[in-house]
Amino acid sequence: MATPKTPQTTTPGTDERPDALPVEQPGRTPALRDAYVLGGNRIPFARAGGKYTGASNQDMFTAALEGLVARYGLQGERLGEVVGGAVLKHSRDFNLIRESVLGSSLSPQTPAFDLQQACATGLEAVVTVSNKIRLGQIESGVAGGSDTVSDAPVAVSEGLRKALLKASHAKTLGARLKAFAAVRPGDLAPSTPSTGEPRTGLSMGEHQAITTAAWGISREAQDEVALNSHLNLAAAWKAGFFDDLVTPFRGLTQDQNMRADSSAEKLASLKPVFGKHLTPSAPTHGAAASEAGGPALPTGPTMTAGNSTPLTDGASVVLLGSREWAAEHDLAVLARVVDAESAAVDFVHGHEGLLMAPAHAVPRLLARNGLALEDFDFYEIHEAFASTVLTTLAAWEDDDYCRTELGLDGAFGSIDRSRLNVHGSSLAAGHPFAATGGRIVATAAKLVADKARETGRPARALISICAAGGLGLAAILESTASPAVTPAQSTES
Amino acid sequence: MTAAAQEAPERRNPRLVTLPTLPGLGGLYAKGVASSGRIAVTRSPVGRVLPGPRDVVLPDVVYRVADVPTADVTEHLTAYQRLVGERVDDTLPAGYLHVLAFPLATALMVRGDFPLPLLGLVHVSNAVSVHRPVRVGDVLEVRASAENLRAHRRGVQVDLVTEVSTGGELVYRGVSTYLAKGFRLPSGEEPLPEQTDEVPREDFVPPFPTARWALGSGTGRAYGAISGDRNPIHTSTLGAKAFGFPRTIAHGMYTAARALAEVGAARGDAYDWTVEFEKPVLLPGTVQVAITRTPDDAAHPGGFTYVGWNGKSGKRHLGGTVTPR
Repeated sequence: MATPKTPQTTTPGTDERPDALPVEQPGRTPALRDAYVLGGNRIPFARAGGKYTGASNQDMFTAALEGLVARYGLQGERLGEVVGGAVLKHSRDFNLIRESVLGSSLSPQTPAFDLQQACATGLEAVVTVSNKIRLGQIESGVAGGSDTVSDAPVAVSEGLRKALLKASHAKTLGARLKAFAAVRPGDLAPSTPSTGEPRTGLSMGEHQAITTAAWGISREAQDEVALNSHLNLAAAWKAGFFDDLVTPFRGLTQDQNMRADSSAEKLASLKPVFGKHLTPSAPTHGAAASEAGGPALPTGPTMTAGNSTPLTDGASVVLLGSREWAAEHDLAVLARVVDAESAAVDFVHGHEGLLMAPAHAVPRLLARNGLALEDFDFYEIHEAFASTVLTTLAAWEDDDYCRTELGLDGAFGSIDRSRLNVHGSSLAAGHPFAATGGRIVATAAKLVADKARETGRPARALISICAAGGLGLAAILESTASPAVTPAQSTES
Repeated sequence: MTAAAQEAPERRNPRLVTLPTLPGLGGLYAKGVASSGRIAVTRSPVGRVLPGPRDVVLPDVVYRVADVPTADVTEHLTAYQRLVGERVDDTLPAGYLHVLAFPLATALMVRGDFPLPLLGLVHVSNAVSVHRPVRVGDVLEVRASAENLRAHRRGVQVDLVTEVSTGGELVYRGVSTYLAKGFRLPSGEEPLPEQTDEVPREDFVPPFPTARWALGSGTGRAYGAISGDRNPIHTSTLGAKAFGFPRTIAHGMYTAARALAEVGAARGDAYDWTVEFEKPVLLPGTVQVAITRTPDDAAHPGGFTYVGWNGKSGKRHLGGTVTPR
């Protein structure tokens, strides 16, 4: 598609694959080459109203970026592009990433742009930068995201906003006064951002509570995911895994939400916060719906503050580059960005759960790459809620669902749970929306690189992130540094 | 289906009364309050019996306004679209056409010979057909008539029918069914109908919601300001109390219009939209809502079914369908 159709000059019978076209011809799309994750950096994630109170998205993104620059010696470097975004963004941050670049010690000649895809922002930035590298448009880039709820933009009410706009357009004092006369006392209350879906008025937690009930996911299973997240993250911090992935910020050296001493008992003691107004009804999907032939038991509310991700502040970035650029800068290559797939679901009228899009994206992504669900060493499934992970896995194990909703021949498959979020995920680390993608990509890239080094075999990670608006994004990372990687696998064809 | 959708069998050759413009609702309400008082005088301990057989008939008249311009409605239309969640564009959604035609229907209901009191009429159901989209700039003819006065278990019901056409082509037809509680037709006039309007309510099991409406205390005033329907039960706590409600209640048509809007583009350009109102929504209040595709094996496949209920009591507020034509 990107190949302009110019008259063929090659003799008949020669290879006519688009990538076989001579690359030196002006206007031709060059053959694709690979993009690699070279490293990552983030600041520790802080709980809302915690250590980062008063720090803006730009402050945090700049801090994460500057830490990356320091770690990889990029001072004064002109990178190909810096791409990132924030989900909760003030209108003054129209050039958030470019302003962050200007505040960093990168060359001021480094271009940048903002991008936003709700909770998938960070991963979408990684996909965008790596695609530019793959196309040969840039040699290097940084992708990431930043979000704060402690410093979230607060807007004036619609009534006040309209009055202010009218007054600013008014030509006389009388007209201005008239505009303000329309303001009612209730209009003075500010309008704060919410996690509610604009089209449904349900919060993300309430949406997920419906999906959780539909799939009959138990409280115990959710608490287990949450506990593993905390224990795995704490173990990774203790083992020093994040030493070269995190730069302290504002006195915070570790993720503030992490509870190394969490226990099943503590998690079980928490009261449900989502789904309280759902009328108990029987599951409609999955094993729970068809158990033992008898009527399934209705499940009460199961989602607590412990098995739901807390609101968090933070920022993360990932360094990407071509193999040549990495070699020129004496940087090791962690992982190849293999491919990515986005999906969206019809949640507005309840046909599908709000956060179920990754269940659709992953099978398509794997089919395109000739991979099965079992072909991965690591699964990084973003823990928006513990039950998001569990409903996604349950969906892939459900024959009927995979047939009717995903168009597969049967169940997509199961995963080895010991490979799931092995160094913890959002439940423990927190989830500053746009910053999560960068955290996961850097973690997964380092995981596959380490694994390949240990085993001498290539390692592969699957990343899946759900997002507001019924969106989902999935990506594959693969190790390259292993001696077992043949030239064919690290294809530069 | 509601009785509202049926053709009125007793329809004679009505007198066509052409008004120069659509009347304003404010004056009509003042008139409605006066005539409601007049009708209430006939109250008796066992219910208000409509006076002698000769007076039981509905006014045999069709109100008409010939050339209703819509070129200048944009600002008002936008306010309506924002309020109920419609896409802001140049199409007049069905709920807006209802609002447009409502004063003409109201003018009928405040006539001296209309046998029921305007205040105290309960809007029980509404059925609308949009045959083709009406757009800003179309010049409309609006008609209103009262039809199908009939006995109901709890009183009498009447249909207010409004029709909108442009260039001689019918583009909209709305049937609003009202119940006058405590009234009955003189005995022997008409048997009580089968209770087809009374779907058993007890077996309602709330489905999974697809949406939630958090309605503030000003919801009635906001819709009143845009629709012109400033019935005190919607706009003033005292007014609501006077009619037996602890607080103001949301306009039924506001909730139905929101459901219609939230079906979205899938309803198409031409559609049928029905609603049956049950428990009023007290303000402020939260309505649990499920708007789902009607199953293929249902009576009217291809459309949407919606229901709104109270999450605490489990009682239904409204339910209906939106079906592309």
